[in-house]
Amino acid sequence: MAKSISRRDFIKGMAGFGAASAVTALAGMPAAHAESETELVERVTTELPIPEVEAPAKTEYECDVLVIGGGFAGLNAAAAAADQGQRVVMLDKGRPGYSGLSPWPSSHRWADKEMGDDYDALRKCIQHGSEYLGNMDLYEVWLEESKGTYERLRDWGILDQYETAAQSGFYNDSGDPADCSGDYQGYHEKFIQHDRRTKFAAVLKEKGIEYADYTMVTNVIVENNKVCGAVGFHVPSGAIITCHAKAVVMAMGGGCYKPTGFPTGGVTFDGEYIAYNLGLPIAGKEFDDFHMTLSWAPGNAFLNNNWTYLDPLWLCGGDITPETAISYATTKGKVMVLDRVTKSMTGLAVSDGTGVEDMTKQDVTRRGGSTSENPAEVRFGKCNDTMYKGDIYGAAVGFGAHLTNGVFCGLDDLEGRTSIDGLWVSGDGMMACGPTGAAYPTGVGFTSNFVSTMGNRAGKAAAEYAATAELTKISDERIAEETEKILAPLSVEKGFDPNWARDQLMNIMSPYWVYIAKSEATLQAALTQVEYLRDKVVPKLQAASFHDVRLCLEMQHKVLNAELSLRASLARQETRGLHFRTDFPYRDDENFLCFITLQKNADGGMDIEKVPVKDEWKGDLSEDYKSRYTYYFPRELETLGLPAEEETGGWGGKK
Amino acid sequence: MSVARYDLNKCIGCKSCVTVCPMDVFRFDEAAKKSVIAYPENCQSCGQCFVNCLGRSLTIVNDMYGYAQTSYRAATTVAMNRTAQKVIDR
Repeated sequence: MAKSISRRDFIKGMAGFGAASAVTALAGMPAAHAESETELVERVTTELPIPEVEAPAKTEYECDVLVIGGGFAGLNAAAAAADQGQRVVMLDKGRPGYSGLSPWPSSHRWADKEMGDDYDALRKCIQHGSEYLGNMDLYEVWLEESKGTYERLRDWGILDQYETAAQSGFYNDSGDPADCSGDYQGYHEKFIQHDRRTKFAAVLKEKGIEYADYTMVTNVIVENNKVCGAVGFHVPSGAIITCHAKAVVMAMGGGCYKPTGFPTGGVTFDGEYIAYNLGLPIAGKEFDDFHMTLSWAPGNAFLNNNWTYLDPLWLCGGDITPETAISYATTKGKVMVLDRVTKSMTGLAVSDGTGVEDMTKQDVTRRGGSTSENPAEVRFGKCNDTMYKGDIYGAAVGFGAHLTNGVFCGLDDLEGRTSIDGLWVSGDGMMACGPTGAAYPTGVGFTSNFVSTMGNRAGKAAAEYAATAELTKISDERIAEETEKILAPLSVEKGFDPNWARDQLMNIMSPYWVYIAKSEATLQAALTQVEYLRDKVVPKLQAASFHDVRLCLEMQHKVLNAELSLRASLARQETRGLHFRTDFPYRDDENFLCFITLQKNADGGMDIEKVPVKDEWKGDLSEDYKSRYTYYFPRELETLGLPAEEETGGWGGKK
Repeated sequence: MSVARYDLNKCIGCKSCVTVCPMDVFRFDEAAKKSVIAYPENCQSCGQCFVNCLGRSLTIVNDMYGYAQTSYRAATTVAMNRTAQKVIDR
């Protein structure tokens, strides 16, 4: 037998291989865990035919509060409603704890006076960094409630702290940039009792919350402006699922137009599509958190980021002080916003895979963390693993700026209550008008806490409403109508593969001149193509299985989202945070300290409106431009006739 | 990246992958007591099937599947089409 090659050696070698040759090589090689076996059996790498799936035993539910989506927002909403004594059902397209965005957080942040947080400094940082579109009232909610949220998640076991992969020895911390290997399975097995994903379903069970997984909700049913429940289907079997409910919390996440192999593929604007078609206003669509990559390793989410997902969640905070409040927000702007602009426009891949250790250290220090590995510094205890960061972080075009996209519930809303009786929205991508505004100046870990805080509020409010509301059941006619819509792609005889359509949308939306450095001409050109997809392709999306049905419906949602996003981008004729217009390369406080809402009108058209933010969120309008805004886009200062700055670039350094 | 089969022999039928995958990539063959990687083109490379695979039957490869592997799918979707037809007829 040829010299046995360990899996680590193999992965190490793979870095220099083309993908195809790597697989070929793997096929001819014994695995590390086979080394101890005395006899090697030939491996089988072909699959059995795809079998049929039985419909679930239960397809009709009835409850007080229905929660759609089992991520952080949904989990907290369901738990809060159940704690109020209401009968709660959860429907999840995947599996609670694994679906949507819930596999992807790396960190958790809360505000804590006892740990020395200065709330005025935090307020100053977010107001400046959100570029004056941040909802300061919701930020006050977070300051008050985030510690309770942290304690709740901690008690559920979701924030368990245990050895990181590097500390445990399962990750090979050799410091050799060519070696990104480790025993992922061994690490997971050893610390399986801390696996936070398993805690989601455990909490639901403990609280007596019934849930149905692999159930894609396709519509929320409303009669006479009052919610009656939701209809969807069990994806593997195609069985139609109905849930009659007095109140509904939509915690369905945001979305992206993702190329294959990238993370967060389960979020596809399902909730936004339903809400828009119910006539609710959608906001924040011009702010997109597309993590553009021209990197050496796009799509290698597992190697790039999975240690982060297997490691304990990084507990963070304490890094924004009175002295650093403005510089912190400025740095975030440079890192998150300007860096992608400059990188994409210059075509520069920041990382060729070298200098990994330096990059990892920068990744910690730029967030105010410590690389000392001193265990006493508990709030900066993670991200010390030497690992390939690559440059993707879940790169996916279409991804809304955190907590800014979704249903606009008005300037005074503090719980996600919509204008439909009994209907709440909650979580990232579902509820617009969050505290992060045009950018995300909060530091890592804010989202997982904030959406949990808001989920808790929505769940409580929905439970209080349900306690006195009457149940209106969904009529048989409505169920039949929704069933027909769900099954429609199966009857298309000649049409388009949803995976093909996905790639067309991706190609239309992902060029940097459409989504990063936008202009009237490029947005209009993309919109023309998206309208073509909407009118010619979407009606002819073809499904050969119920798996395909899911993809076809998701494509419908993505195409609507693209239209919303392009129209909002056209309407905001200025530059602010995660929205850069090359033809209006400056902040325009006079005309655009507002949200842009898009709403379906009676004729089926799209109404676009500006809703000015509250005066007290606008900051000091008498301040000069260069104090109000502390990082600048290409040609911004020049256009305004202000003295130019030395170009600083972003995290990647000078360009 | 995408999930791929390391060795079907090692699948012990624990169903972990089918249970955790949020992308509907897996099916389970009840007769053979083996998982089936049915739709790898929709894998989001979260790696949860891989780390939860009790038999260590799965691996993660650098390949990404842009489309369904058409010839393979054609040979295996007959049963699914039949199911779909039954629902439409109902």
